[in-house]
Amino acid sequence: MIDESLPGFIRGSLDHCVKCNICETACPVMNVTPLFPGPKYEGPQAERFRTPGASADDSIDYCSGCGICTLVCPQGVKVAEINSRARATMKQQRGIPLRDHLLARPSVEGRLATPLAPLANLALSNRGIRLLIEKTLRIHRQAPLPKFAGLTFQGWARRHQPPPTDDAVVYFHGCSTNYFQPELGVQAVAVLEHNGFRVLVPPQDCCGLPLQSNGIFDTARSYVSRLARNLAPYARQGYKIVATSTSCGLMLKREALEILGMEDDQDLRVVSEQTYDICEFLADLDEQGRLRSDFNSLPITVTYHAPCQQQSHLIGKPALDLLDLIPELKVIELDRACCGIAGTYGTKREKYDVAMQVGAGLFGDIRDAGPDLAVCDSETCRWQITHGTGRESVHPVEILHQAYGLGSRARRK
Amino acid sequence: MAGLTAGVRLAEAGLRVVTVAKGLGSLRLAPATVDILGYGPDRVDSPARALAAFVAAHPDHPYALVTPGVLAKSVNWLKERVNTYAYLGDPEVNMLLPTAVGVPRPSAVVPETMAGGDIRALKHVAIIGLRALKDFHPALVADNLRASAVSGGAAVEARSIMLNPPTGGEADVGTLAFGRRFEEAAFRSAVAAELRAALHDEQAVGMPAVLGFDHVGSVWTEFQEAVGRPVFEIPTIPPSVPGVRLARVLQERLRRAGGRFVLGAQAVGPELRSGKLVGVRIRTAARETVRAARSVVLATGGLASGGIEVDSRGAVRESVLGLPVWGRPSGAEPGFLPRYLDEHPMDSVGVRVDRRLRPVGPGGEPVHENLHAAGAVIGGARPWREKSGDGISLSTGYLAAGAILEDAE
Amino acid sequence: MTSSAVTASPATGPTWAPSPVQARLGPVECEILVMGGGSTGAGIARDAAMRGFSTVLVERADLATGTTGRFHGLLHSGGRYVVKDPKAAQECLAENVALRRIAADSIEDTGGMFVTTPIDDPGYADQFVQACIATGIPVEEIPVAEALRREPRLNPQISRALVVPDATVDCWQVVWSTVRSAAEHGARIFPYHEVVKVTRDGSRVTGALVRGPGGDEVQIRAEVVISATGAWAGRIAAMAGCKVNVLPGKGIMVAMSHRLVNTVVNRCESPSDGDILVPIHTVSVIGTTDVQVADPDDWSISHAEIDQMLEAGENLVPGFRAARALRVWGGVRPLFQDDLPAQSRDVTRAHAVLDHSDRDGVERFLTIVGGKFCTFRLMAQDAVDAACTVLGTQRPCRTADEPLPDSADGRFYWMGSRLARREASLHDDQLICECELIQRGRLEDAMVQRGTANLDDIRRILRLGMGPCQGGFCTFRATGILHQAMKLSASEANRAMLEFLQERWKGVQPLLHGDQLRQAWLDNWIFQGVLDVEHLPGMAQTREHAPV
Repeated sequence: MIDESLPGFIRGSLDHCVKCNICETACPVMNVTPLFPGPKYEGPQAERFRTPGASADDSIDYCSGCGICTLVCPQGVKVAEINSRARATMKQQRGIPLRDHLLARPSVEGRLATPLAPLANLALSNRGIRLLIEKTLRIHRQAPLPKFAGLTFQGWARRHQPPPTDDAVVYFHGCSTNYFQPELGVQAVAVLEHNGFRVLVPPQDCCGLPLQSNGIFDTARSYVSRLARNLAPYARQGYKIVATSTSCGLMLKREALEILGMEDDQDLRVVSEQTYDICEFLADLDEQGRLRSDFNSLPITVTYHAPCQQQSHLIGKPALDLLDLIPELKVIELDRACCGIAGTYGTKREKYDVAMQVGAGLFGDIRDAGPDLAVCDSETCRWQITHGTGRESVHPVEILHQAYGLGSRARRK
Repeated sequence: MAGLTAGVRLAEAGLRVVTVAKGLGSLRLAPATVDILGYGPDRVDSPARALAAFVAAHPDHPYALVTPGVLAKSVNWLKERVNTYAYLGDPEVNMLLPTAVGVPRPSAVVPETMAGGDIRALKHVAIIGLRALKDFHPALVADNLRASAVSGGAAVEARSIMLNPPTGGEADVGTLAFGRRFEEAAFRSAVAAELRAALHDEQAVGMPAVLGFDHVGSVWTEFQEAVGRPVFEIPTIPPSVPGVRLARVLQERLRRAGGRFVLGAQAVGPELRSGKLVGVRIRTAARETVRAARSVVLATGGLASGGIEVDSRGAVRESVLGLPVWGRPSGAEPGFLPRYLDEHPMDSVGVRVDRRLRPVGPGGEPVHENLHAAGAVIGGARPWREKSGDGISLSTGYLAAGAILEDAE
Repeated sequence: MTSSAVTASPATGPTWAPSPVQARLGPVECEILVMGGGSTGAGIARDAAMRGFSTVLVERADLATGTTGRFHGLLHSGGRYVVKDPKAAQECLAENVALRRIAADSIEDTGGMFVTTPIDDPGYADQFVQACIATGIPVEEIPVAEALRREPRLNPQISRALVVPDATVDCWQVVWSTVRSAAEHGARIFPYHEVVKVTRDGSRVTGALVRGPGGDEVQIRAEVVISATGAWAGRIAAMAGCKVNVLPGKGIMVAMSHRLVNTVVNRCESPSDGDILVPIHTVSVIGTTDVQVADPDDWSISHAEIDQMLEAGENLVPGFRAARALRVWGGVRPLFQDDLPAQSRDVTRAHAVLDHSDRDGVERFLTIVGGKFCTFRLMAQDAVDAACTVLGTQRPCRTADEPLPDSADGRFYWMGSRLARREASLHDDQLICECELIQRGRLEDAMVQRGTANLDDIRRILRLGMGPCQGGFCTFRATGILHQAMKLSASEANRAMLEFLQERWKGVQPLLHGDQLRQAWLDNWIFQGVLDVEHLPGMAQTREHAPV
């Protein structure tokens, strides 16, 4: 009932809480550990006791920020957003560890490590070094960390010749595609081009999401507003912005506006309105009868897990509709809330076990299903799924790419 | 409950079903007993037989649309869909099951884990508390149960026992957490051992309803065997473990039948083309979009769920489609009376529907040919007083789906 | 109902002992009998006991349930009265300073702001600043942008913002601390003892006959009787054959479910309806109205009054109407005037001690009238000074300097303290009232110490059931705990639950809409739908006797 444009809208949403506890039935973290007293306690309850700048609650550090509480709340409380802000205040007061500063800046690491990729990868796969990292930085020795590709997607895109078509979209690739998995970007471009779009790739840096989720709000704001400034001219011309990183896409759509309180950033507002998750975009095309249906048979079995951040787009699971179009593909929809990783949460030494317990149900379902591939829209979740199950995990677009016959999937180790 | 019932029935009939929900539904808060009619206002022994007189006295009640035949069919339909544990009973007879304050509450169709609490058949029970669970106070249950005389029967002899099961040092363990612990065999046998030692010659054992989630059937059976007496569950205040169980079963049914969920997205208005309802506008993370649909079922709940809203000036509205709302107090009449337990004029506001469950306008004509309503958004009832909530939701959800299926043929 | 009296026990604070002991032993003797257990009566009991008088206090209900317990919580800097009534403002300022010194634990140093909203006379701010300077109230004008930075939800159309040392104060905590201190100095306190007769020997008042909770009547004999019965002073005076004109002025207040502001916000304008927004504990309270009523027990509330408050709130904080209104209540100001004026807000708020030997020819009987919560200590001092005169003795007052029992360290209350306490015992105690973060240990202690079977008594000590769900969850839990802790029968426990449900309903029923209505309906589902409380054994009788 509160006007969403009013200052205090996120905090004000606590008014809707009737203590029904539905968030508690769904919170993946409180369901595995008593260290986290739950979204209702941290959100609408504790928020009433918070005064500006004075944090009384450390337990909020165990919130993974997955956003499921907001997603399931039938009353309209912005539980996760309240908690993100409170956690940031708490961390600012207690001091943000060096580890969190590092985990929060993938594009800095990407730029530094890309030229030295083999060396960096070797180091990060060395047990002794990981142990040392755990001791000094408190990043868990077993936590799934990505490998640097050595090449960047931006580098590929600069050399790529787009087809001369009228329709164009902007591709927001995110840090992971740029530094860790450029082939996903290449495949996304191929799928979009196959459907008649010219794909524009403006210069882009990190969206600030990892900074935000580690409570480093000021720097997060400067990152996201710089990104929005780069993308806004396209958005204003009516181009849609399509993202393969579902969490970074959500950052542009909603999280920065709400959690970082950037409602007044006009660039971000227009970018938000034009941003689409790639599966959302393609499913919309299909709805309009514009998606090419020349899929080859793909006689394999895949599981599909919609990650928390994808769910928070509030668009259902369009990937399922797309995968349904592929002949002979068997898709098993998994009904688990979270894999546990929640961005960088599950890599932290003190939270690794919690994250693995959160993911245990999902890992079990995947192992039981025994799929050829585990499909999931979010990169960090894919790393965690592979870590937890030993199964290869791919983005839905990789399946579409293969089914369109645009090339075989590059198998990763 | 109403939305899931309609959704599952339609999806199983082969229709493409999309469920748009602002959040997870209130079934997770409910005892998940299918109460058909408990009071009208005197206690009802047989809902099926009492229905005609009740409807005659309450012509605007949603049950005016539901025949005993439909009730029986919808109950059977539900029983067939819950397969990991059983629902017992039928609309012919109300059981009397103790509540968490020890009141024998009439209920017709209940999970097998609760049916053993029917005090008409009980003489001597032990009511069990778990030390770390603040939402169940066995002494109060037992004291009130002893004082509750059931017509035609002697009062129940009841005693309370407080157990102190292992909780890993946690003092405040909720129903959900106990529900998960009971799925662990080691925990179960620890509780059973402690309980066995504390029992005398009680005939049955009442527990807070926390005996597991997805594996409740086997959890309950094994626990009873370990205790050596019949065990029955007593529903707690929210969050409700039995409510979560039933919600998960129905959601899984819907998913398996090909139904899709759009969770977290609020429906904000109708999509009209030349006045005809062609879909629903929903609010996603970045913008409003349209979900096109041939038929729409409105199952947004009543005042408790926000399906019906009242603003600070007293204006009453149906919150998604702006449908006409009936039963609101007129003019200067207050909506609420000073005594808590009075029947309040605002109690039974809601939309009114025709025989095909279509919301109607002032002249009784359907607002849209292809719009149906089910559950608590339909006015005319005081379900929390009548103990009729899930009965109304189940039967109207079932009927709304039936009307759409007829249209589809 | 278990009746109780407070006796001192230095180690653990007050302990409660059953009072029928006194009733059976016959008449109670004392030097000073105080009638009325509001802030003034409590203050008098403490002051008198500290000056060495043998003192007894009687109150018809629980302590601080009259005007004191129905106040918004604003500890005035004096700013509100400074233009119109500099004397009252000066008193407020002095007492604001004194209470910060002696009752820090009950006070949150929120600061206050007077803002010129679009509907206010822009010239008033200059008058206000001059008057503050003349009166000695510290005042500082800050830029509007700075005011909006401090209070982001404030109306951005305000044109001026003036900062003063307003604060907020917990009336119940002050009264209970005061009474504990009084008991430590030997005073005996009898809540739930109603005066049925003021006894006289000729022209001299000799004490009172009071009726305890069990219906027993007890004679209390006293050298001096002081009536500190506020809006009810006329009734008590009449029992002694005296005449006091008190003008009951009813004001309503609406509590919003969380803090919309963290500073006390006043409209910079002559005092009028709905011009203050007070952040007190976890809520913010908008107040108030001023309507003359004939009966001080008339706490009825109309929709028009509520609407007026919401509209006034909208002027201070845009979006106010859509925010969650939790509860509404009315209080009655005890305004004293010998000649009835037309509008009660024009009556002086300064207080007076009436010696009825001068006015009515009745000796040994004093009435203290007028005043306001903020000046209760000064009122008590003046009343006990007058009693000293009557008794022909001079003993100095020490209440302005000696801190109350919980406030010795001088640290102000911090709202986050309950959250911090919960964090410290997350795994070791149960959270019973989730809205107000009340843990089981404290709840059980309060029940046993207070010796009550009434959850509303507990509410005033701990804020039980005062948050957004208004008892929707904690009423059930607290009933189960009360049943065990106080060894109640099921029917006593059932009664406690139903009375508390009714008590909570009383304050939400007049304003139910929006989120609070959704909450009330979920609560209906819990208590009626799930628990079936309306069919508890013995309900047929209980329903007829349930208080409205």
